Amino acid sequence: MDYRRYSVDEFATDEMFQKWVMAPTPEITAFWLKWIEDHPEKSGEIGMARELLLTVSGMYNDDLSDEMLRHEIEEISRLAELQKHREKQGIYQLIQQPLWRVAAIFLLVSAIGLWLYNKEAGSGAPAHISAKSIPANAMIVKKNGTAHEMTVFLTDHSVATLSPGSTISYPETFAAGERKVTLTGEAFFDVAKNPESPFLVYTNETVTKVLGTSFRVKALDRENTVMVLVKTGRVSVYPKTEYESLQNKPDKKVSVIVLNPNQQAVFNRKDNKLLKGMVNNRQLLSELSVQKELVFDDKPVSQVFKILQEMYGIVIDFDQDMLANCSISAQFNDENLKQRLSAICQAIGAGYEMVNGKVVITSKGCN
Amino acid sequence: MDNEANISNLSDINIQLWQRFKAGDSAALGQLAHVHYRALYNYATKFSSDPDFIRDSIQELYLELWERREHLSETAFVKSYLLKALRHKLIKESIRLKRFQETGHEYFDMEQEDAPIESQIIADESSQSQSSHLQRIITLLSKRQQEIIYLRFYQNLDNEDIAHIMGLGRQSVSNLLHRTLKDIRQIWAPAEFMWALIVFTSLI
Repeated sequence: MDYRRYSVDEFATDEMFQKWVMAPTPEITAFWLKWIEDHPEKSGEIGMARELLLTVSGMYNDDLSDEMLRHEIEEISRLAELQKHREKQGIYQLIQQPLWRVAAIFLLVSAIGLWLYNKEAGSGAPAHISAKSIPANAMIVKKNGTAHEMTVFLTDHSVATLSPGSTISYPETFAAGERKVTLTGEAFFDVAKNPESPFLVYTNETVTKVLGTSFRVKALDRENTVMVLVKTGRVSVYPKTEYESLQNKPDKKVSVIVLNPNQQAVFNRKDNKLLKGMVNNRQLLSELSVQKELVFDDKPVSQVFKILQEMYGIVIDFDQDMLANCSISAQFNDENLKQRLSAICQAIGAGYEMVNGKVVITSKGCN
Repeated sequence: MDNEANISNLSDINIQLWQRFKAGDSAALGQLAHVHYRALYNYATKFSSDPDFIRDSIQELYLELWERREHLSETAFVKSYLLKALRHKLIKESIRLKRFQETGHEYFDMEQEDAPIESQIIADESSQSQSSHLQRIITLLSKRQQEIIYLRFYQNLDNEDIAHIMGLGRQSVSNLLHRTLKDIRQIWAPAEFMWALIVFTSLI
Protein backbone atom coordinates (compact mmCIF):
# COMPACT_ATOMS: atom_id res chain seq x y z
CA MET A 1 0.00 0.00 0.00
CA ASP A 2 1.64 3.20 -1.15
CA TYR A 3 0.26 6.04 0.95
CA ARG A 4 2.48 8.51 -0.90
CA ARG A 5 0.01 8.51 -3.81
CA TYR A 6 -3.13 8.67 -1.68
CA SER A 7 -5.73 11.40 -2.14
CA VAL A 8 -7.91 12.84 0.63
CA ASP A 9 -10.69 10.49 -0.40
CA GLU A 10 -8.44 7.47 -0.26
CA PHE A 11 -7.00 8.37 3.12
CA ALA A 12 -10.43 9.01 4.59
CA THR A 13 -11.76 5.63 3.47
CA ASP A 14 -8.62 3.68 4.34
CA GLU A 15 -9.21 1.25 7.16
CA MET A 16 -5.96 1.88 8.98
CA PHE A 17 -6.31 5.63 8.63
CA GLN A 18 -9.84 5.50 10.00
CA LYS A 19 -8.69 3.48 12.93
CA TRP A 20 -6.10 6.11 13.75
CA VAL A 21 -8.70 8.89 13.63
CA MET A 22 -11.64 7.19 15.26
CA ALA A 23 -10.22 4.55 17.62
CA PRO A 24 -6.46 4.88 17.84
CA THR A 25 -4.11 2.46 19.52
CA PRO A 26 -0.59 3.55 20.51
CA GLU A 27 0.94 1.51 17.67
CA ILE A 28 -1.30 3.00 15.00
CA THR A 29 -0.73 6.52 16.27
CA ALA A 30 3.02 5.94 16.30
CA PHE A 31 2.88 4.60 12.75
CA TRP A 32 1.05 7.63 11.37
CA LEU A 33 3.09 10.22 13.21
CA LYS A 34 6.25 8.61 11.86
CA TRP A 35 4.73 8.47 8.38
CA ILE A 36 3.82 12.17 8.45
CA GLU A 37 7.28 13.04 9.63
CA ASP A 38 8.73 11.16 6.69
CA HIS A 39 6.26 12.65 4.20
CA PRO A 40 5.57 16.23 5.25
CA GLU A 41 4.34 17.03 1.73
CA LYS A 42 1.23 14.90 2.45
CA SER A 43 0.26 16.67 5.67
CA GLY A 44 -2.34 18.78 3.81
CA GLU A 45 -4.19 15.69 2.54
CA ILE A 46 -3.87 13.97 5.88
CA GLY A 47 -5.14 16.93 7.83
CA MET A 48 -8.13 17.31 5.57
CA ALA A 49 -8.99 13.61 5.58
CA ARG A 50 -8.72 13.56 9.35
CA GLU A 51 -10.92 16.60 9.81
CA LEU A 52 -13.40 15.26 7.28
CA LEU A 53 -13.83 11.99 9.17
CA LEU A 54 -14.19 13.70 12.53
CA THR A 55 -16.64 16.29 11.24
CA VAL A 56 -18.78 13.82 9.34
CA SER A 57 -19.01 11.38 12.23
CA GLY A 58 -19.86 14.25 14.57
CA MET A 59 -22.48 15.95 12.45
CA TYR A 60 -24.37 12.84 11.35
CA ASN A 61 -24.84 11.19 14.72
CA ASP A 62 -28.26 9.94 15.72
CA ASP A 63 -29.97 9.26 19.05
CA LEU A 64 -30.75 5.56 18.67
CA SER A 65 -30.16 3.95 22.05
CA ASP A 66 -28.93 0.37 22.49
CA GLU A 67 -32.14 -0.46 24.27
CA MET A 68 -34.29 0.84 21.45
CA LEU A 69 -32.13 -1.01 18.93
CA ARG A 70 -32.56 -4.29 20.77
CA HIS A 71 -36.28 -3.74 21.09
CA GLU A 72 -36.72 -3.00 17.39
CA ILE A 73 -34.73 -6.06 16.34
CA GLU A 74 -36.76 -8.28 18.65
CA GLU A 75 -39.94 -6.80 17.25
CA ILE A 76 -38.86 -7.46 13.67
CA SER A 77 -37.97 -11.07 14.53
CA ARG A 78 -41.26 -11.59 16.33
CA LEU A 79 -43.35 -10.22 13.47
CA ALA A 80 -41.36 -12.24 10.91
CA GLU A 81 -41.91 -15.41 12.91
CA LEU A 82 -45.62 -14.62 13.01
CA GLN A 83 -45.68 -14.06 9.27
CA LYS A 84 -43.89 -17.33 8.63
CA HIS A 85 -46.27 -19.18 10.84
CA ARG A 86 -49.19 -17.77 8.93
CA GLU A 87 -47.67 -18.69 5.57
CA LYS A 88 -47.14 -22.28 6.62
CA GLN A 89 -50.58 -22.98 7.91
CA GLY A 90 -53.58 -22.38 5.75
CA ILE A 91 -56.91 -21.79 7.43
CA TYR A 92 -57.90 -25.39 6.86
CA GLN A 93 -54.88 -26.72 8.71
CA LEU A 94 -55.56 -24.31 11.53
CA ILE A 95 -59.01 -25.76 12.08
CA GLN A 96 -57.50 -29.24 12.22
CA GLN A 97 -55.58 -28.32 15.33
CA PRO A 98 -57.37 -29.13 18.61
CA LEU A 99 -56.55 -25.83 20.24
CA TRP A 100 -58.00 -23.87 17.38
CA ARG A 101 -61.05 -26.06 17.31
CA VAL A 102 -61.72 -25.14 20.90
CA ALA A 103 -61.29 -21.48 20.09
CA ALA A 104 -63.67 -21.77 17.17
CA ILE A 105 -66.31 -23.48 19.28
CA PHE A 106 -65.94 -20.87 21.98
CA LEU A 107 -66.41 -18.17 19.39
CA LEU A 108 -69.56 -19.82 18.12
CA VAL A 109 -70.95 -20.24 21.61
CA SER A 110 -70.31 -16.63 22.50
CA ALA A 111 -71.86 -15.52 19.21
CA ILE A 112 -75.02 -17.45 20.01
CA GLY A 113 -74.94 -16.06 23.51
CA LEU A 114 -74.80 -12.53 22.24
CA TRP A 115 -77.58 -13.22 19.78
CA LEU A 116 -79.78 -14.59 22.55
CA TYR A 117 -78.92 -11.65 24.73
CA ASN A 118 -79.79 -9.20 22.01
CA LYS A 119 -83.05 -11.00 21.29
CA GLU A 120 -84.04 -10.90 24.91
CA ALA A 121 -83.11 -7.26 25.26
CA GLY A 122 -85.68 -6.42 22.65
CA SER A 123 -84.70 -4.63 19.49
CA GLY A 124 -81.01 -5.49 19.70
CA ALA A 125 -78.01 -3.45 20.71
CA PRO A 126 -78.33 -0.15 22.62
CA ALA A 127 -79.74 2.54 20.41
CA HIS A 128 -76.71 4.80 20.41
CA ILE A 129 -74.47 2.19 18.81
CA SER A 130 -74.77 2.56 15.09
CA ALA A 131 -75.20 -1.03 14.05
CA LYS A 132 -74.55 -0.42 10.39
CA SER A 133 -71.05 0.97 10.82
CA ILE A 134 -69.76 -2.48 11.77
CA PRO A 135 -70.87 -5.82 10.38
CA ALA A 136 -72.72 -7.58 13.14
CA ASN A 137 -70.59 -10.67 13.73
CA ALA A 138 -70.33 -11.23 17.46
CA MET A 139 -70.05 -7.61 18.46
CA ILE A 140 -69.07 -6.85 21.99
CA VAL A 141 -70.56 -3.71 23.48
CA LYS A 142 -69.11 -2.28 26.68
CA LYS A 143 -70.74 0.63 28.38
CA ASN A 144 -69.11 2.21 31.36
CA GLY A 145 -71.98 2.79 33.75
CA THR A 146 -69.66 3.35 36.72
CA ALA A 147 -68.43 6.63 38.09
CA HIS A 148 -64.76 5.85 37.37
CA GLU A 149 -62.72 4.74 34.38
CA MET A 150 -63.06 1.22 33.01
CA THR A 151 -60.26 -0.81 31.47
CA VAL A 152 -61.29 -2.91 28.47
CA PHE A 153 -58.98 -5.54 26.97
CA LEU A 154 -59.50 -5.92 23.25
CA THR A 155 -58.82 -9.24 21.60
CA ASP A 156 -55.77 -7.97 19.70
CA HIS A 157 -53.95 -7.14 22.97
CA SER A 158 -54.82 -3.47 22.76
CA VAL A 159 -56.16 -1.74 25.84
CA ALA A 160 -58.95 0.85 25.91
CA THR A 161 -59.59 2.95 29.01
CA LEU A 162 -63.19 4.06 28.89
CA SER A 163 -64.40 7.23 30.63
CA PRO A 164 -67.63 7.11 32.66
CA GLY A 165 -70.75 7.14 30.50
CA SER A 166 -68.85 6.14 27.35
CA THR A 167 -69.51 3.12 25.16
CA ILE A 168 -67.21 1.11 22.95
CA SER A 169 -68.13 -1.70 20.58
CA TYR A 170 -65.80 -4.06 18.75
CA PRO A 171 -65.99 -7.51 17.19
CA GLU A 172 -65.06 -10.58 19.19
CA THR A 173 -62.45 -11.30 16.54
CA PHE A 174 -61.14 -8.54 14.36
CA ALA A 175 -61.49 -9.06 10.63
CA ALA A 176 -58.26 -9.65 8.72
CA GLY A 177 -56.59 -6.46 7.56
CA GLU A 178 -58.31 -4.01 9.89
CA ARG A 179 -59.27 -3.58 13.53
CA LYS A 180 -62.37 -1.45 13.76
CA VAL A 181 -63.91 -0.15 16.99
CA THR A 182 -66.75 2.33 17.45
CA LEU A 183 -66.67 4.84 20.27
CA THR A 184 -69.32 7.05 21.79
CA GLY A 185 -67.82 9.30 24.45
CA GLU A 186 -64.19 9.30 25.49
CA ALA A 187 -61.42 6.71 25.71
CA PHE A 188 -57.67 6.35 25.83
CA PHE A 189 -56.22 3.69 23.54
CA ASP A 190 -52.97 1.79 23.89
CA VAL A 191 -52.84 -0.06 20.59
CA ALA A 192 -50.84 -3.26 20.05
CA LYS A 193 -48.58 -2.95 17.06
CA ASN A 194 -49.59 -4.75 13.90
CA PRO A 195 -48.44 -3.14 10.65
CA GLU A 196 -50.65 -5.40 8.56
CA SER A 197 -53.82 -4.44 10.32
CA PRO A 198 -54.51 -0.78 11.03
CA PHE A 199 -56.54 0.09 14.11
CA LEU A 200 -59.54 2.32 13.36
CA VAL A 201 -61.58 4.26 15.88
CA TYR A 202 -64.93 5.42 14.52
CA THR A 203 -66.97 8.13 16.14
CA ASN A 204 -70.05 9.63 14.55
CA GLU A 205 -67.97 12.20 12.70
CA THR A 206 -64.35 11.05 12.58
CA VAL A 207 -62.17 8.07 11.80
CA THR A 208 -58.79 7.78 13.52
CA LYS A 209 -56.31 5.39 11.97
CA VAL A 210 -53.14 4.01 13.56
CA LEU A 211 -50.76 1.08 13.33
CA GLY A 212 -49.67 0.89 16.96
CA THR A 213 -49.51 3.75 19.42
CA SER A 214 -51.32 5.42 22.28
CA PHE A 215 -53.78 8.26 22.05
CA ARG A 216 -57.09 9.61 23.35
CA VAL A 217 -60.33 10.18 21.47
CA LYS A 218 -62.84 12.53 23.03
CA ALA A 219 -66.22 12.54 21.29
CA LEU A 220 -68.71 13.64 23.92
CA ASP A 221 -72.23 14.24 22.69
CA ARG A 222 -72.60 17.35 24.81
CA GLU A 223 -69.55 19.01 23.30
CA ASN A 224 -69.21 20.80 20.01
CA THR A 225 -65.97 19.11 19.06
CA VAL A 226 -64.32 15.74 18.66
CA MET A 227 -60.73 15.65 19.86
CA VAL A 228 -57.92 13.21 19.14
CA LEU A 229 -54.75 13.57 21.23
CA VAL A 230 -51.59 11.58 20.56
CA LYS A 231 -49.19 10.37 23.22
CA THR A 232 -46.86 8.15 21.16
CA GLY A 233 -46.56 7.12 17.54
CA ARG A 234 -48.26 8.49 14.49
CA VAL A 235 -51.98 8.81 13.94
CA SER A 236 -54.14 9.88 10.99
CA VAL A 237 -57.50 11.54 11.59
CA TYR A 238 -60.17 11.80 8.90
CA PRO A 239 -63.65 13.28 8.85
CA LYS A 240 -65.79 10.15 8.65
CA THR A 241 -67.44 11.09 5.38
CA GLU A 242 -64.05 11.62 3.78
CA TYR A 243 -62.68 8.33 5.07
CA GLU A 244 -65.62 6.43 3.69
CA SER A 245 -65.31 8.01 0.29
CA LEU A 246 -61.67 6.89 0.36
CA GLN A 247 -62.83 3.28 0.59
CA ASN A 248 -64.60 3.55 -2.74
CA LYS A 249 -61.98 5.60 -4.51
CA PRO A 250 -58.55 4.94 -3.00
CA ASP A 251 -56.90 7.58 -5.19
CA LYS A 252 -59.18 10.38 -4.11
CA LYS A 253 -57.58 13.24 -2.26
CA VAL A 254 -59.27 13.59 1.09
CA SER A 255 -58.65 15.89 4.00
CA VAL A 256 -56.68 14.13 6.67
CA ILE A 257 -54.51 15.27 9.53
CA VAL A 258 -51.39 13.38 10.52
CA LEU A 259 -50.55 13.74 14.18
CA ASN A 260 -47.23 13.19 15.91
CA PRO A 261 -46.76 12.82 19.66
CA ASN A 262 -48.13 15.70 21.74
CA GLN A 263 -50.25 16.95 18.88
CA GLN A 264 -54.01 17.04 18.73
CA ALA A 265 -56.72 17.28 16.11
CA VAL A 266 -59.97 19.04 16.84
CA PHE A 267 -62.99 18.31 14.66
CA ASN A 268 -65.62 21.02 14.81
CA ARG A 269 -69.10 19.56 14.50
CA LYS A 270 -70.61 22.86 13.38
CA ASP A 271 -68.51 23.55 10.33
CA ASN A 272 -67.27 19.99 9.69
CA LYS A 273 -63.60 21.02 9.86
CA LEU A 274 -60.46 19.43 11.27
CA LEU A 275 -57.77 21.55 12.89
CA LYS A 276 -54.33 20.56 14.12
CA GLY A 277 -52.57 21.91 17.18
CA MET A 278 -50.40 21.10 20.17
CA VAL A 279 -51.88 19.31 23.19
CA ASN A 280 -52.66 21.89 25.87
CA ASN A 281 -53.87 19.66 28.65
CA ARG A 282 -51.15 17.07 29.17
CA GLN A 283 -53.29 15.23 31.67
CA LEU A 284 -55.35 13.97 28.75
CA LEU A 285 -52.30 12.09 27.50
CA SER A 286 -52.39 9.57 30.31
CA GLU A 287 -54.49 6.49 30.46
CA LEU A 288 -56.19 7.32 33.73
CA SER A 289 -57.53 10.77 34.49
CA VAL A 290 -55.79 10.63 37.84
CA GLN A 291 -52.39 9.19 37.06
CA LYS A 292 -50.77 8.74 40.42
CA GLU A 293 -47.10 8.16 40.82
CA LEU A 294 -46.49 4.68 42.18
CA VAL A 295 -43.42 3.80 44.20
CA PHE A 296 -42.78 0.22 45.25
CA ASP A 297 -39.88 -0.47 47.54
CA ASP A 298 -39.16 -4.19 47.83
CA LYS A 299 -42.88 -4.86 47.77
CA PRO A 300 -44.37 -8.35 47.37
CA VAL A 301 -45.60 -8.67 43.79
CA SER A 302 -48.97 -10.03 44.87
CA GLN A 303 -49.60 -6.74 46.69
CA VAL A 304 -48.47 -4.77 43.64
CA PHE A 305 -50.95 -6.66 41.49
CA LYS A 306 -53.71 -5.94 43.98
CA ILE A 307 -52.96 -2.22 43.82
CA LEU A 308 -53.08 -2.32 40.01
CA GLN A 309 -56.36 -4.27 40.08
CA GLU A 310 -57.95 -1.58 42.11
CA MET A 311 -56.45 1.31 40.22
CA TYR A 312 -57.54 0.07 36.79
CA GLY A 313 -60.65 -1.83 37.87
CA ILE A 314 -59.38 -5.04 36.30
CA VAL A 315 -58.90 -8.66 37.30
CA ILE A 316 -55.35 -10.00 37.46
CA ASP A 317 -55.14 -13.78 37.71
CA PHE A 318 -52.05 -15.07 39.47
CA ASP A 319 -50.93 -17.93 41.66
CA GLN A 320 -50.56 -16.46 45.13
CA ASP A 321 -48.36 -19.30 46.41
CA MET A 322 -46.13 -19.33 43.36
CA LEU A 323 -45.42 -15.60 43.71
CA ALA A 324 -44.92 -15.77 47.46
CA ASN A 325 -41.18 -15.07 47.18
CA CYS A 326 -41.39 -12.43 44.45
CA SER A 327 -40.99 -8.79 45.30
CA ILE A 328 -40.01 -5.72 43.29
CA SER A 329 -38.73 -2.20 43.66
CA ALA A 330 -40.06 0.11 41.01
CA GLN A 331 -41.23 3.62 40.36
CA PHE A 332 -43.97 4.38 37.86
CA ASN A 333 -44.90 7.82 36.62
CA ASP A 334 -46.06 8.15 33.09
CA GLU A 335 -46.28 4.48 32.09
CA ASN A 336 -49.53 2.95 30.97
CA LEU A 337 -50.94 -0.36 32.15
CA LYS A 338 -49.23 -2.55 29.56
CA GLN A 339 -45.87 -0.94 30.21
CA ARG A 340 -46.29 -1.42 33.94
CA LEU A 341 -47.28 -5.04 33.57
CA SER A 342 -44.37 -5.86 31.31
CA ALA A 343 -41.91 -4.06 33.58
CA ILE A 344 -43.11 -6.00 36.61
CA CYS A 345 -43.19 -9.32 34.78
CA GLN A 346 -39.75 -8.77 33.35
CA ALA A 347 -38.39 -8.04 36.81
CA ILE A 348 -39.66 -11.32 38.25
CA GLY A 349 -39.14 -13.43 35.13
CA ALA A 350 -42.84 -13.92 34.54
CA GLY A 351 -45.11 -13.42 31.55
CA TYR A 352 -48.59 -12.02 31.12
CA GLU A 353 -51.46 -12.47 28.73
CA MET A 354 -54.77 -10.76 28.30
CA VAL A 355 -57.42 -13.44 28.08
CA ASN A 356 -61.18 -13.04 28.27
CA GLY A 357 -60.99 -9.57 29.69
CA LYS A 358 -58.54 -10.59 32.39
CA VAL A 359 -54.81 -10.34 32.84
CA VAL A 360 -53.29 -13.78 33.43
CA ILE A 361 -49.82 -13.97 34.96
CA THR A 362 -47.68 -17.01 34.24
CA SER A 363 -44.72 -17.50 36.55
CA LYS A 364 -42.47 -20.24 37.79
CA GLY A 365 -41.91 -18.38 41.03
CA CYS A 366 -38.88 -16.58 42.42
CA ASN A 367 -36.04 -17.79 44.61
CA MET B 1 -18.47 6.43 12.86
CA ASP B 2 -19.70 3.23 11.33
CA ASN B 3 -18.20 0.32 13.18
CA GLU B 4 -18.24 -1.85 10.09
CA ALA B 5 -14.88 -0.52 9.07
CA ASN B 6 -13.76 -3.81 7.69
CA ILE B 7 -16.25 -4.20 4.95
CA SER B 8 -14.38 -6.73 2.86
CA ASN B 9 -14.22 -9.30 5.66
CA LEU B 10 -17.83 -8.75 6.54
CA SER B 11 -19.14 -9.18 3.02
CA ASP B 12 -18.60 -12.95 3.02
CA ILE B 13 -20.63 -13.25 6.17
CA ASN B 14 -23.24 -10.99 4.63
CA ILE B 15 -23.57 -13.17 1.55
CA GLN B 16 -24.07 -16.25 3.69
CA LEU B 17 -26.56 -14.45 5.88
CA TRP B 18 -28.48 -13.34 2.82
CA GLN B 19 -28.66 -16.89 1.52
CA ARG B 20 -29.91 -18.21 4.83
CA PHE B 21 -32.42 -15.37 4.97
CA LYS B 22 -33.70 -16.25 1.51
CA ALA B 23 -34.07 -19.86 2.61
CA GLY B 24 -36.44 -18.74 5.35
CA ASP B 25 -34.13 -18.86 8.37
CA SER B 26 -35.63 -16.36 10.78
CA ALA B 27 -32.46 -16.29 12.89
CA ALA B 28 -30.70 -14.95 9.79
CA LEU B 29 -33.29 -12.20 9.56
CA GLY B 30 -32.57 -11.25 13.16
CA GLN B 31 -28.85 -11.11 12.41
CA LEU B 32 -29.42 -9.07 9.26
CA ALA B 33 -31.39 -6.63 11.34
CA HIS B 34 -28.67 -6.61 13.96
CA VAL B 35 -25.87 -5.92 11.48
CA HIS B 36 -27.58 -3.17 9.49
CA TYR B 37 -30.16 -1.56 11.75
CA ARG B 38 -27.92 1.24 12.99
CA ALA B 39 -26.77 2.20 9.53
CA LEU B 40 -30.35 2.19 8.23
CA TYR B 41 -31.64 4.21 11.15
CA ASN B 42 -28.92 6.78 10.80
CA TYR B 43 -29.51 7.12 7.06
CA ALA B 44 -33.23 7.52 7.64
CA THR B 45 -32.69 10.41 10.06
CA LYS B 46 -31.39 12.32 7.04
CA PHE B 47 -34.83 12.08 5.48
CA SER B 48 -37.14 12.45 8.46
CA SER B 49 -37.03 13.79 11.99
CA ASP B 50 -39.78 11.51 13.24
CA PRO B 51 -38.30 8.50 15.07
CA ASP B 52 -41.58 6.60 15.04
CA PHE B 53 -41.96 7.03 11.33
CA ILE B 54 -38.37 5.85 10.88
CA ARG B 55 -38.80 2.79 13.05
CA ASP B 56 -42.03 1.84 11.30
CA SER B 57 -40.39 2.27 7.90
CA ILE B 58 -37.41 0.08 8.77
CA GLN B 59 -39.64 -2.54 10.29
CA GLU B 60 -41.82 -2.57 7.19
CA LEU B 61 -38.74 -2.79 5.01
CA TYR B 62 -37.50 -5.93 6.74
CA LEU B 63 -40.92 -7.56 6.81
CA GLU B 64 -41.56 -6.84 3.15
CA LEU B 65 -38.23 -8.38 2.24
CA TRP B 66 -39.03 -11.34 4.44
CA GLU B 67 -42.35 -11.82 2.68
CA ARG B 68 -40.72 -11.69 -0.74
CA ARG B 69 -37.60 -13.55 0.31
CA GLU B 70 -37.98 -16.38 -2.18
CA HIS B 71 -38.13 -13.94 -5.07
CA LEU B 72 -35.14 -11.83 -4.05
CA SER B 73 -32.01 -12.05 -6.13
CA GLU B 74 -28.61 -13.10 -4.87
CA THR B 75 -26.61 -10.10 -3.87
CA ALA B 76 -23.18 -9.46 -2.49
CA PHE B 77 -24.10 -5.87 -1.64
CA VAL B 78 -26.60 -6.40 1.12
CA LYS B 79 -25.93 -3.12 2.86
CA SER B 80 -26.37 -0.96 -0.19
CA TYR B 81 -29.36 -3.05 -1.21
CA LEU B 82 -31.04 -2.28 2.11
CA LEU B 83 -30.06 1.39 2.09
CA LYS B 84 -31.40 1.80 -1.43
CA ALA B 85 -34.69 0.11 -0.57
CA LEU B 86 -35.08 2.25 2.53
CA ARG B 87 -34.23 5.44 0.65
CA HIS B 88 -36.86 4.63 -1.93
CA LYS B 89 -39.41 3.86 0.75
CA LEU B 90 -38.76 7.02 2.75
CA ILE B 91 -38.95 9.29 -0.26
CA LYS B 92 -42.10 7.63 -1.56
CA GLU B 93 -43.74 7.83 1.85
CA SER B 94 -42.76 11.41 2.56
CA ILE B 95 -44.04 12.57 -0.82
CA ARG B 96 -47.32 10.93 0.09
CA LEU B 97 -47.33 12.79 3.41
CA LYS B 98 -45.66 15.95 2.20
CA ARG B 99 -48.65 18.21 2.19
CA PHE B 100 -49.12 17.56 5.89
CA GLN B 101 -45.56 18.13 6.88
CA GLU B 102 -44.25 21.25 8.42
CA THR B 103 -41.37 22.54 6.39
CA GLY B 104 -38.28 24.12 7.84
CA HIS B 105 -36.02 21.09 7.91
CA GLU B 106 -33.59 20.34 5.19
CA TYR B 107 -33.18 16.76 4.17
CA PHE B 108 -31.39 14.88 1.44
CA ASP B 109 -34.54 14.39 -0.59
CA MET B 110 -35.49 18.03 -0.73
CA GLU B 111 -34.92 19.78 -3.99
CA GLN B 112 -32.57 22.66 -3.96
CA GLU B 113 -30.87 24.66 -6.61
CA ASP B 114 -27.17 24.10 -6.98
CA ALA B 115 -26.36 27.73 -6.33
CA PRO B 116 -22.66 28.54 -6.50
CA ILE B 117 -21.24 27.66 -3.13
CA GLU B 118 -19.20 30.86 -2.83
CA SER B 119 -22.31 33.02 -2.82
CA GLN B 120 -23.79 30.89 -0.09
CA ILE B 121 -20.62 31.14 1.92
CA ILE B 122 -20.96 34.90 1.83
CA ALA B 123 -24.58 34.64 2.86
CA ASP B 124 -23.54 32.41 5.70
CA GLU B 125 -20.72 34.64 6.85
CA SER B 126 -23.00 36.73 9.03
CA SER B 127 -24.56 33.79 10.86
CA GLN B 128 -21.82 32.69 13.19
CA SER B 129 -22.41 29.16 14.38
CA GLN B 130 -20.75 26.97 16.97
CA SER B 131 -19.96 24.24 14.49
CA SER B 132 -16.58 23.85 12.91
CA HIS B 133 -15.60 25.58 9.73
CA LEU B 134 -15.74 22.32 7.78
CA GLN B 135 -19.16 21.45 9.08
CA ARG B 136 -20.44 24.81 7.86
CA ILE B 137 -18.91 24.16 4.47
CA ILE B 138 -20.59 20.75 4.24
CA THR B 139 -24.01 22.09 5.15
CA LEU B 140 -23.67 24.62 2.34
CA LEU B 141 -23.12 21.94 -0.29
CA SER B 142 -26.02 20.82 -2.46
CA LYS B 143 -28.17 18.02 -1.02
CA ARG B 144 -26.73 15.54 -3.49
CA GLN B 145 -23.21 16.50 -2.54
CA GLN B 146 -24.02 16.18 1.14
CA GLU B 147 -25.53 12.77 0.61
CA ILE B 148 -22.48 11.59 -1.29
CA ILE B 149 -20.17 12.83 1.46
CA TYR B 150 -22.36 11.08 4.00
CA LEU B 151 -22.52 7.77 2.16
CA ARG B 152 -18.82 7.80 1.37
CA PHE B 153 -17.36 8.89 4.70
CA TYR B 154 -20.03 8.03 7.27
CA GLN B 155 -21.46 4.83 5.82
CA ASN B 156 -18.13 3.87 4.29
CA LEU B 157 -19.50 2.81 0.93
CA ASP B 158 -17.59 2.67 -2.33
CA ASN B 159 -18.60 4.50 -5.50
CA GLU B 160 -20.40 1.52 -6.93
CA ASP B 161 -22.60 1.15 -3.85
CA ILE B 162 -23.30 4.87 -3.79
CA ALA B 163 -24.26 4.81 -7.48
CA HIS B 164 -26.63 1.95 -6.76
CA ILE B 165 -28.26 3.67 -3.79
CA MET B 166 -28.66 7.10 -5.34
CA GLY B 167 -29.67 5.76 -8.74
CA LEU B 168 -26.74 7.39 -10.51
CA GLY B 169 -24.12 6.05 -12.89
CA ARG B 170 -20.83 4.98 -11.36
CA GLN B 171 -18.98 7.65 -13.34
CA SER B 172 -21.35 10.40 -12.19
CA VAL B 173 -20.74 9.43 -8.59
CA SER B 174 -17.02 9.51 -9.16
CA ASN B 175 -17.26 12.93 -10.84
CA LEU B 176 -19.58 14.34 -8.22
CA LEU B 177 -17.39 13.13 -5.38
CA HIS B 178 -14.33 14.58 -7.06
CA ARG B 179 -16.05 17.90 -7.63
CA THR B 180 -17.35 17.98 -4.05
CA LEU B 181 -13.96 17.37 -2.51
CA LYS B 182 -12.51 20.01 -4.80
CA ASP B 183 -15.21 22.46 -3.71
CA ILE B 184 -14.47 21.78 -0.09
CA ARG B 185 -10.76 22.08 -0.58
CA GLN B 186 -11.04 25.38 -2.42
CA ILE B 187 -12.95 27.07 0.33
CA TRP B 188 -10.75 25.47 2.86
CA ALA B 189 -7.49 26.25 1.08
CA PRO B 190 -6.42 29.31 3.05
CA ALA B 191 -6.22 27.20 6.15
CA GLU B 192 -4.41 24.32 4.55
CA PHE B 193 -0.91 25.41 5.42
CA MET B 194 -1.86 25.08 9.05
CA TRP B 195 -2.55 21.39 8.86
CA ALA B 196 1.00 20.32 9.38
CA LEU B 197 1.08 22.41 12.51
CA ILE B 198 -2.23 21.16 13.85
CA VAL B 199 -1.50 17.52 13.16
CA PHE B 200 1.79 17.69 14.95
CA THR B 201 0.89 19.79 17.92
CA SER B 202 -2.33 18.01 18.73
CA LEU B 203 -0.94 14.51 18.58
CA ILE B 204 2.52 14.52 19.98
